[in-house]
Amino acid sequence: MFERFTDKARRVVVLAQDAARGRQAGTIRTEHLLAALFEVPDNLALAVLEGFGVTKADVLADIDRLPGAGPAPSDADALAALGIDLDEVRRQVEDAFGAGALDRTRAAAGRAWRRGGHIPFEREAKKVLELALREAVRMTHNYIGTEHILLGMLHSETGAGQRILLARGVRQDAARVVVEELVRTRRAG
Amino acid sequence: MTDATRVAAAASSRDPSIGLTAVASLRGLLESLEELQVTNARAQGWSWQQIADVLRVSRQAVHKKYRRFGF
Repeated sequence: MFERFTDKARRVVVLAQDAARGRQAGTIRTEHLLAALFEVPDNLALAVLEGFGVTKADVLADIDRLPGAGPAPSDADALAALGIDLDEVRRQVEDAFGAGALDRTRAAAGRAWRRGGHIPFEREAKKVLELALREAVRMTHNYIGTEHILLGMLHSETGAGQRILLARGVRQDAARVVVEELVRTRRAG
Repeated sequence: MTDATRVAAAASSRDPSIGLTAVASLRGLLESLEELQVTNARAQGWSWQQIADVLRVSRQAVHKKYRRFGF
């Protein structure tokens, strides 16, 4: 399926991973795909969203307001919520085992690796990409572009991305009409 | 806030993102501390059985988890 993605659509998929990592998310979700659409300049999905008056600033603000959004607290802050003083624990451990002992453990290294490593796509985000293919087929396009990713995201079962767009007035049937019009004028001109 | 009231506050927090994040951080700290202590015990000549008894787990569990460390 990915061989039919346009370069811009591929970039969206790649940048969705950065969007997830930047928000310290454990999986790539539909809102990360949505955020990534805004990181690829001059794409057709953005032209559609512009037609609906949806701006990058609005969407990013909506994403920040999702439950569980915002940067994850540091371990020190999280443990403080339980009354555990991580700095004190670290001091005690380093007294016994030497400077940096706690952070040198393989367990700590494994956690750091996971933070920098590959992030998997969550089920709904995968679904968006499958639906993008379906949208392309439906329009008899032989490629999958950013506009098809957007239309895939507008299916009702695709999570936060769809909810954000719907709340901003982007409906799937209307978006399809806009896409078809834009594709026609691009071909014409 | 005293530690006791803070623990009470976290324990009674109904916000899953606060509670779950604290549990995840606690698990990470636990893993690091256990690794340090097991490493130290092996360096001091403790057997897997002795370590397992004090950790209150089976010998197989602790051996399986730490044998890749090569001690």
